[in-house]
Amino acid sequence: MSVETQRSIATMRMPGGLGSLLPALILIGLFFVVPVLALLLRSVTEPAPGLQNYSALLGDGTYARVFFNTFLVAAVVTIVTVLVAFPVAWMLAIMPPALASIVFGVIILSMWTNLLTRTYAWMVLLQRTGVINRALMASGIIDQPLPLINNLTGVTIGMVYIMLPFMILPLVGTLRAIDPMTLRAAALCGASPFQAFRRILLPLSLPGIAAGGLMVFVMSLGYFVTPALLGGTSNMMLAEMIAQMIQSLLNWGLGSAAAFILLVVTMALYALQLRLVGARRATGGA
Amino acid sequence: MTQPFLSIRKLRKAFGAFTAVHDVTLDIPKGEFLTFLGPSGSGKSTTLYAIAGFQDPSSGDVLLEGKSLLAVPPHKRNIGMVFQRYTLFPHLSVAENVAFPLRVRRRPEAEVKRKVADMLGLVRLESFAERLPGALSGGQQQRVALARALAYDPPILLMDEPLSALDKKLREEIQAEIRRIHRETGVTILYVTHDQEEALHLSDRIALFRDGRIEQTGTGEDLYLRPATDFVAGFIGNSNFLAAEHLETVGGAATIRLGDGSLVSGISANGRFERGQKTRLMIRPEAFRLERSPTSAELAVEIVDVAFYGERRRIVARTAAGQEIDIRPTSAAMASQEATPRHRQVFFDPGAAFLFPA
Repeated sequence: MSVETQRSIATMRMPGGLGSLLPALILIGLFFVVPVLALLLRSVTEPAPGLQNYSALLGDGTYARVFFNTFLVAAVVTIVTVLVAFPVAWMLAIMPPALASIVFGVIILSMWTNLLTRTYAWMVLLQRTGVINRALMASGIIDQPLPLINNLTGVTIGMVYIMLPFMILPLVGTLRAIDPMTLRAAALCGASPFQAFRRILLPLSLPGIAAGGLMVFVMSLGYFVTPALLGGTSNMMLAEMIAQMIQSLLNWGLGSAAAFILLVVTMALYALQLRLVGARRATGGA
Repeated sequence: MTQPFLSIRKLRKAFGAFTAVHDVTLDIPKGEFLTFLGPSGSGKSTTLYAIAGFQDPSSGDVLLEGKSLLAVPPHKRNIGMVFQRYTLFPHLSVAENVAFPLRVRRRPEAEVKRKVADMLGLVRLESFAERLPGALSGGQQQRVALARALAYDPPILLMDEPLSALDKKLREEIQAEIRRIHRETGVTILYVTHDQEEALHLSDRIALFRDGRIEQTGTGEDLYLRPATDFVAGFIGNSNFLAAEHLETVGGAATIRLGDGSLVSGISANGRFERGQKTRLMIRPEAFRLERSPTSAELAVEIVDVAFYGERRRIVARTAAGQEIDIRPTSAAMASQEATPRHRQVFFDPGAAFLFPA
């Protein structure tokens, strides 16, 4: 019987030859591989063949600032998102399931709301004469409006808000897998709530933090709408720069090169995470 | 009066309208191995969790050496606990799991090392120190949990059905281990189980729980040989209950009339009975004899089935009143041909039979 089972599994796993994969391969080739190759080609052929676009991007101080700023914003957004998402995810993980699914619904609903709408809503809230500044001034806490928009603060607030679900979802999965009895055991062993968090809960939730963090970081690197609307001119991000190069300057070569650099960095980060997760699995299984 | 080591005073825990524990009071001397035995939902775990600090009792108190534990948060109670499920920290090695309680207490490294080695020696897992818990069997994991719970020399060790997830052979092996560790360390152990055999051969004393109350507290022998209620008699060991009518009780010895009309005197009476009151007579299966003795009472039965169980035989018999009873004579006491007379007398010592209200 076990031989039979093995055989049926073997036939199940056998794809109907490469033929059945063909439509999918064509789709991926046509819509993903070809455009990326075209991008790469443009970046080394326009306006003239050679690597001058790349040397311009990597050698110039202005562009370097944009790169630096992009990574800075992505890093700040990732860190703040982790800090905000962790308590929410923990609450969701220990909540009664019925209540948790309602809260989940609300979080998912916010993901489905139009991005532009949400970003404009933040503009209304954050601007000099916006709801937040007015409320704070009316209550006498401040007498000058806080600079909440057109700077790093505005971008961070707007983007963290958008990125939260992408952090919360993987984190809840990881936290739910942690047996709450483990934390009780830690408490009886003499661990204060902080020690239990620091030595048990945090290390055990690291895979979720890493997965969510990488997703948020990578998505933030290429973000356009929110930084463009809530950020200032002094902290332009890469996506905005690419848009400017192509739309205003019509410099397709330079824009393509910048986009390609972003792609390479993103893939490098993804590979790094795969390695880290892989290494963790390897030691975990030993 | 000397002050008890651990004292549970009128402990009550209600969840809404449901009261899980009703005014449980119990004193536990230092070094005792006490088991909370009872069916699931009888309040034994809730009581244990109140001692651990994971349940706030609705009223009552828990005192350790005269001082109330209730206001002390779990991490400051200095109590060791082994849980039903495996609760080792999956990202830490066996040695680091055992070291954890010492590390959070900021003990010097040399002491941590020495203590971890001692503890792993105690549970005989020295060679597994560097493994991760996931690479251990269930039995090994519970032994590590035991080592972790004892690493900081807690005055009390709580164990909440620690062996329920293990198979029978492993369970017996670790039971022996627990007995040895109790002997070697002298730690006071409160052990929760629903397995009467486990309770009987592990504990110094057993508190039998039923519906949130303690039905009887005593040694395993007390509970087995001198059950206070029919619930205790039914829960510990196997019991036959025969319908009987109470006639009179003189000095704790009752005279009754069985269903077939025969009279039996000298029965141990639990409580007071009226003349003519319907009662139940409890006789252990192994208390039946196949040979008459000067003091024995007799019962006419029809043998229905005889099975060989190794050291004992198991006879299913039917009384004249039509009740099925279970008889377990030693195999040596009964040659197989003796089962042949289908109608015969069986005998019991009235002092080993107990009368309970019907």
